[in-house]
Amino acid sequence: MSSTTNQDTDLNLDEDEVIQDWSDISKIQNDNPILSIPKRGEKDYEPDGTDIQELMLYRAKKAMFDTLENSVRGSTVKSQVKGYYIPDKHVAMLPHAKGNFVQTMGETDKDGTLWLHFFEFLYLAERGTITPYWKAYGDNVELPLSIEDLYSYFKNQKEMDNFSIYAHLKRLGFIVRSSDQYIITKYNISFYPPLDFKSKTIGSMRNIVHRITSSFTSTGISLFNGIIFSHWHFYLKRYKSSPEIYESLNKLITHQKIPHSISDLRYEHNNVKEQSSYSTPTSLKISFNIWKPNPTFKKKYPELPDYQVVTYNKNVSNQSFPTYNELRTLFKSLDYKFNFIEDSSNVDFWNKNTYNNGILRENILDELTNHPRNKIKNTEQVGKKQSVNKKKTPRKELPPHIQQLKRLKNGYRSFLLAIMDNGIISFAKISEADFGSENVWYVPPPNGIVARPNQNGRNKNKHRNTQRKEDKQSKK
Amino acid sequence: MSKRVNNAVRYKYPLPVHPIELPQLIIHNPVSWAYWSYCYLTGCNALQRKIHVDIIGEKIVHIEVRNQDDMKYLWENGFFGTGQLSRSEPTWYNHMKSKFQNENNESINKNISLEQVTKLRRQQRIEFKKQREVVEAKLLELRKKGELTPEEEARILEQERGKLRKFKDDQVALHLVKEDPTENVREKGRLLIQEAEVIGENGEIIQMETLELMPVETIFLSFALDVLDITPSKFIIKCCMNDSFDYTDELHKLLIQYTAYHHYRSHGWCVRSGIKFGSDYILYKRGPPFQHADFCIMVLNSNCSNPYTWYSTIARVCGGANKSLVLCYVERTNSKEQIIKWVKEDNLSKVFNSFSVGEIIFKRWVPGKNRD
Repeated sequence: MSSTTNQDTDLNLDEDEVIQDWSDISKIQNDNPILSIPKRGEKDYEPDGTDIQELMLYRAKKAMFDTLENSVRGSTVKSQVKGYYIPDKHVAMLPHAKGNFVQTMGETDKDGTLWLHFFEFLYLAERGTITPYWKAYGDNVELPLSIEDLYSYFKNQKEMDNFSIYAHLKRLGFIVRSSDQYIITKYNISFYPPLDFKSKTIGSMRNIVHRITSSFTSTGISLFNGIIFSHWHFYLKRYKSSPEIYESLNKLITHQKIPHSISDLRYEHNNVKEQSSYSTPTSLKISFNIWKPNPTFKKKYPELPDYQVVTYNKNVSNQSFPTYNELRTLFKSLDYKFNFIEDSSNVDFWNKNTYNNGILRENILDELTNHPRNKIKNTEQVGKKQSVNKKKTPRKELPPHIQQLKRLKNGYRSFLLAIMDNGIISFAKISEADFGSENVWYVPPPNGIVARPNQNGRNKNKHRNTQRKEDKQSKK
Repeated sequence: MSKRVNNAVRYKYPLPVHPIELPQLIIHNPVSWAYWSYCYLTGCNALQRKIHVDIIGEKIVHIEVRNQDDMKYLWENGFFGTGQLSRSEPTWYNHMKSKFQNENNESINKNISLEQVTKLRRQQRIEFKKQREVVEAKLLELRKKGELTPEEEARILEQERGKLRKFKDDQVALHLVKEDPTENVREKGRLLIQEAEVIGENGEIIQMETLELMPVETIFLSFALDVLDITPSKFIIKCCMNDSFDYTDELHKLLIQYTAYHHYRSHGWCVRSGIKFGSDYILYKRGPPFQHADFCIMVLNSNCSNPYTWYSTIARVCGGANKSLVLCYVERTNSKEQIIKWVKEDNLSKVFNSFSVGEIIFKRWVPGKNRD
């Protein structure tokens, strides 16, 4: 039986889950490309054996087929450019690149030739932006290639998966660049300042101090725990508030230290090299940096990426889901806009904390804007105007317990895991969480005065403070 | 008094161990000093009398609290345990009592229990589905005759749907449940059978419900808070160690489960079993009567790697219930032999101190919703 009324119960369908009606799409395309696809009416959930349903299904299928068959395809011959696949290097070369894609893809050399990774080349060829040719290095023979030919040039499964994920994200509008491969020059963009002698020594000093203190504290804590968790302890010690009880309990289980701030991140980064022997090697690594769509993107001086993507094929037997230690290794290798840092919403924050090839981004931008001949000046001003606009909307200060919940739910460093499952791509966001450094206990109001529970976020702190004061007084 | 205020009084303390209450200290009044020190010296955090638990079963261990006051006490002070015949709070007795009273007085009791509310809702839902089936059958009939144009069909569908919606609204507004005579008879019969078992010789209801504790709750209550009358190390040995005192998988599982449990409990969370959502624990900020849980916890070995489908299915279930999935990885930092030795020596603080936790949030990411 068809349950045509099922929608009744889930009225709040997501927009992307609504079925689109393709029946008239070919007409729309011809008339006005901006119009969106109309929504189809009812959904039949099961075959009910009627001819009407058969007919409806046939019509819907035909509509789709006709759309694909009749719509105008191909690309404008004028804007099409030739691209040459260089088999020895498994890259492609565009001597006369033109088009919007040049802003975000590939690398341009001194002569103005655009060099593309194979996945970028295939993506553009599939879109019809470039006509692919085969060309041996230093040879004048060029052979036209089909898309099938190009697909046969994939070196392995991994490369093909990466291509699919790349193309998927590109089509959704993101700016995607390889995070580890380069063709001409290695371009480095980092949150971390280049290591110099000073920071190294400070780092190692801190490290030594840290080791000494941690060994002291750990013995101290184990002694403390020995007392707390003994049978007579509640007869000897007197707790005057629930938080005190909790504080005595929460020293028992140690939890991973997770960087929360700039200094934590830098400290860990400086020590990664020393600790590399401890960290677990992992077969997974970051494949892509992605940026949200941004018209002022400059591939020569990019901002820090918004996300970093690790690709993972669910069905390859030699690849298993990372263990905790492998995940930690991945987290340590992350280098993106760490948006959990406290004042990271500040406009200038990222320019002050981004190093393009070891040079502070702020300085690069200053130089570019002050350069009289430079055209980038204009675009830069546009960028600044936008940022001023952003500044105008003041951030609302949320109450502490909401902020805490946000911290717990979003976690800290994170990366995207792109999962390939027989051609179907899905994403998971994997983030570090830290429940060990947040306390959520409820403080009962003193002496039976009943607090309104919906205010407890703020009341809690007040109570805690007053109780602390009382404690201090009592000790005096 | 409103329900909220009631709850705030009832669940005043988050743990079964209460802080001592001291009178106000007035610095310039020596009498208050004396009274304060008297209260301080006589005050004691420990319970007057330890709570008795029965541990029954050989292969699968059940930990039960039978004393009425203790059951209530453990529930009200930190939400420990589950009533075996109730949803979670042991309310079966009151529930039965009100039911029999209703039988006798024929009056409508206004204090409907939560279980009854759920039952009512389910009945309403079944009723609604029946109505919907009727509508669907009608439409199919029309379709089969083939007399309808798509426009007409859409019109009728819209009409019927409007009716259904109204039906649903009425249901909610008026608490309508159609009396089903057969169901009523069956219900009566069930009551009679229950009556035979439940009513004692003097006509009073026999309490048949006990409060069952999870093994980790038992360890927490006995080891960390010391309110139960058992020795935690002996309990662990009984639960999952054989005569040769090997480091078994069962022992390891219990230890990492407890490590995670203690970790969240000690930071103030109310930790309850997450079996309803396919996970190990769920975390309430204060407790089930106050708000929904925000997190599902899955406790894993730090070197654990499951097939991807495992992660994605759990994340789906949790996501569907509007909770965040937290993978809690527990790592053992001491040797197995050392841990066995400490368990035997009843030095559990050292045992649990040799485990450390790290947490990961796993969340589905939708590109279209993160593009700005």
